[in-house]
Amino acid sequence: MRRFPEGQFRTAVLRRVVAGALALAIGSGGVTAATSDAHRSPALVATLITAEKGVAPEATAISAGLDLTISEGWKTYWRSPGEVGIPPTVDWTGSTNVAGVEFLWPAPTRFTAFGIENFGYHDEVVFPLRISLLDAGKPARLNAKVNLLVCSEICVPDDFTLTLDMPVATGIDAAAAARISDFAARVPDDGTASGIEITSAFVAADRSALTVTARSERGFAAPDIFPELGSQTTFGKPDIRLGDGNRLMWAKLPILGSAGDLPALAVTITDGARAATVEPALSDAAAAPPFLLDRIVPGVSEVAWIALIALLGGLILNAMPCVLPVLSIKLASAVKAHGQTRTRLRAGFLMSAAGVIAFMWILAAATLGARALGLSVGWGLQFQNPLFLAAMVVVLALFSANLYGAFEISLPASWQTRLARADGQPGLSGDFVSGAFAAVLATPCSAPFLGTAVAFALSGRPVDIVVIFTALGIGLALPYLLVAAAPGMVQRLPRPGRWMVWLRLMLGSLLALTAAWLFWVMQGVAGTAAVAGVAAGIAALVAILSLRRLNQTLRLGAALILAAATLATPAILREAPSAAIGPETGWVRFERREIARLVSTGKVVFVDVTADWCLTCKANKALVLDRDPVRSALAEPDVVPMLADWTRSDDAITRYLESFGRFGIPFNAVYGPAAPDGIILPELLSSEAVLDAIDGARGMGATASGG
Amino acid sequence: MNRRKVVAGAAVVAAGYGGYRFVPALFGPRIEFETLDEPRGFRRIAGGRISTGFAPFAGISSASAPDPLVERAARIVDDDICGALFGASKTGSDVVRMASFSDYYCPYCRVQTKRLSTIESRSGGRISVNWHELPLLGDGSQLAAKAALAARRQGAYAVFQERMMTASFQTTPAYLAAVSASLGLDYDRLEADMSSPDIDLELHVTAELARRFGFIGTPALVIGTTAVQGEIGERVTTELIKIERDEQRGTCA
Repeated sequence: MRRFPEGQFRTAVLRRVVAGALALAIGSGGVTAATSDAHRSPALVATLITAEKGVAPEATAISAGLDLTISEGWKTYWRSPGEVGIPPTVDWTGSTNVAGVEFLWPAPTRFTAFGIENFGYHDEVVFPLRISLLDAGKPARLNAKVNLLVCSEICVPDDFTLTLDMPVATGIDAAAAARISDFAARVPDDGTASGIEITSAFVAADRSALTVTARSERGFAAPDIFPELGSQTTFGKPDIRLGDGNRLMWAKLPILGSAGDLPALAVTITDGARAATVEPALSDAAAAPPFLLDRIVPGVSEVAWIALIALLGGLILNAMPCVLPVLSIKLASAVKAHGQTRTRLRAGFLMSAAGVIAFMWILAAATLGARALGLSVGWGLQFQNPLFLAAMVVVLALFSANLYGAFEISLPASWQTRLARADGQPGLSGDFVSGAFAAVLATPCSAPFLGTAVAFALSGRPVDIVVIFTALGIGLALPYLLVAAAPGMVQRLPRPGRWMVWLRLMLGSLLALTAAWLFWVMQGVAGTAAVAGVAAGIAALVAILSLRRLNQTLRLGAALILAAATLATPAILREAPSAAIGPETGWVRFERREIARLVSTGKVVFVDVTADWCLTCKANKALVLDRDPVRSALAEPDVVPMLADWTRSDDAITRYLESFGRFGIPFNAVYGPAAPDGIILPELLSSEAVLDAIDGARGMGATASGG
Repeated sequence: MNRRKVVAGAAVVAAGYGGYRFVPALFGPRIEFETLDEPRGFRRIAGGRISTGFAPFAGISSASAPDPLVERAARIVDDDICGALFGASKTGSDVVRMASFSDYYCPYCRVQTKRLSTIESRSGGRISVNWHELPLLGDGSQLAAKAALAARRQGAYAVFQERMMTASFQTTPAYLAAVSASLGLDYDRLEADMSSPDIDLELHVTAELARRFGFIGTPALVIGTTAVQGEIGERVTTELIKIERDEQRGTCA
């Protein structure tokens, strides 16, 4: 059944014969067509063609081809068809003066449909045939009983017989010869002419995977790999990576099934028009991949889309309660400084925008660095770190106290003068810092768009990460950029007056509220003792800073020491994580293995990944999950609500999220007999979406549980 | 004015995305039917692009002499086409019955078979599928089909089918012996059953049904009274089930 191209040199011989024939063809007028009658079916048109118009005197061989023109949507198969399918076979019984036929297989194309990998041909293919004659120079008759499988959405066996009489004649059918030589050139060689060398091949001891490396000094463009390891071994989709300036190709293929002793391995590598089939010796170890990247590089349009989403997401972040105060402070300062020139205003807001974007770039760099170290990073993850939380609380509390008038924040005079001398416009650095601060505060507000963009960034190329974080930054900085573009808008803001005191108090309260919220998050992460410690430290800090009689240097020094001590408290006072799950009754603790078990007993499982610091999760819970009709739907006997608490970093939950390509929350999924792989819900939940998903996961006929 | 432009731009982008994302779902193709003259009381989906042009049953060797098995199969189908299609067991009127025709060597059959068995298992008994083996793709597929029918005689059709559909294989006696061993089947009995006239007749009945419905390849499917050639998507399948359930056409009631 299976034929390997035993001697690639024969291909070369065939090419030479055809090329010679082509040269002869010029000038010889055609009398007989060197083509059989066609077999026509809806799937294909098949003919036998020969390069020679007849058997030339003394000729011992004929160059022929089985020419298939395949209709749109149909395909037929290679000698190793893949998981299922059968290769074409030809029975030459009934031919006369034919000693043997060598059937050559042009390099195949990969078809993937519904997770099934198949290899074969579409549009057109000519299988080159080298026919050797019994009696040289005598007429011959080709009788080909062809049996092949053609598939579109349906698979149909197409069996037909093609006959071609070859009288004694000279002359070449130029068109047929060109077609045959065209496809003969696509038959894989031994690597010499194609310049493809296989450098290692390793089959894992448990037969789970095949790893192959190949080199080509010409460089690979878009290679594919088709290994053959006995008819009972099938391979999944290859993971192909190029390295060393595209001269190195590394490929790893999962082995889906194998049985019995493994025969010699044959590997076919294709790259554009060239292809090689080699039987490499097996290596002792798997070659290391040239780089670690677990995602196929996305196209430019995809990057543009995601960048746009990131831009919108960044813009929306401005309306989040944790960022709004910063924007308000910024606008308030612009109002206060009514006398400022347009240029100064514009520069100030541009600086703030630059601050936002700069912080985003720092995040991008940190993400890249962490990824290089193999860490898993996620949006909002910093809120699982008590030190970060303490630092944020301290900064927010101090700003709030400042707005309440407890003390004035002023840079030392020497710094101020230096800054003033540097650009003649004091305070620009302050603008920059307030922009960066807005960006820092925005991180917990994982707006709906954000999860998508960040997940994409984290699994993408470095350039994707930079593009996305830049787009996020530009989105977040958009209000500042708008003011910078039209500073006149500020002129329309009301004149300073008594209302500004109230505004200060209001903004101070907002910051205090944000600090209180962070306290609450910290309580979830590090425990009550840590919160009390940090609160005490902050109180002392504010007290010291408001002692105006104290010498400024002394005051600052004491404040710094106190701040450091405050930051250290959560690490010291941190409590061991409590095993208890939230107070909600009916919710069970997240256990990934349990999902499959429950589903197999016909249950519907609703998974909610949440965290104390995730505002969108809280909104989902308050507006959808804890309200009817969803609350009663989750309470039904065949529904198991499962809670995954990500407030503290948890590897199992992180891996679970990663399996969906998510790196941020909220994340909700519904599993059921009709949806064993889960139905992923949007980040912003709605009652309809949840109910639909639960019904969908239950499947049709909700009365009985599925088997 | 600057801001207005930004807002308008954002609105256009949002509308464009919404249109691209949701509108096509509203205009799925409607299913139209064509009544079949033969067998009476059945219909097929109109406008399928694969209907004629292939030599029917190229894979089955057509003996020129009248084959008594073929004649017996024809009589069985004449007597009770519904029983031949959907199996003898009677079911309630709310059950939609399907007959699936597939071949272990046909890539799309895998997809279709997996889909149908999922639909059946999650229907809670409101859909039943009768599995027919239509081996058109050569000796290997003939052998696999006989083995599957022989496994059914040991009550192991479903596991055998699942096993055959999840691996690549060349059907050889050694392979079948290995599969039987791993599924806990009696291989000697399987082998004996495979060459039994019963199974031969069963395959002939399936082939006769396929001939009457004009199926030229696999997969093929009869849902209630509607014959479908080729792999159809999940959406069309569930749509057809729904139509058959709603219309309650009485051909095989």
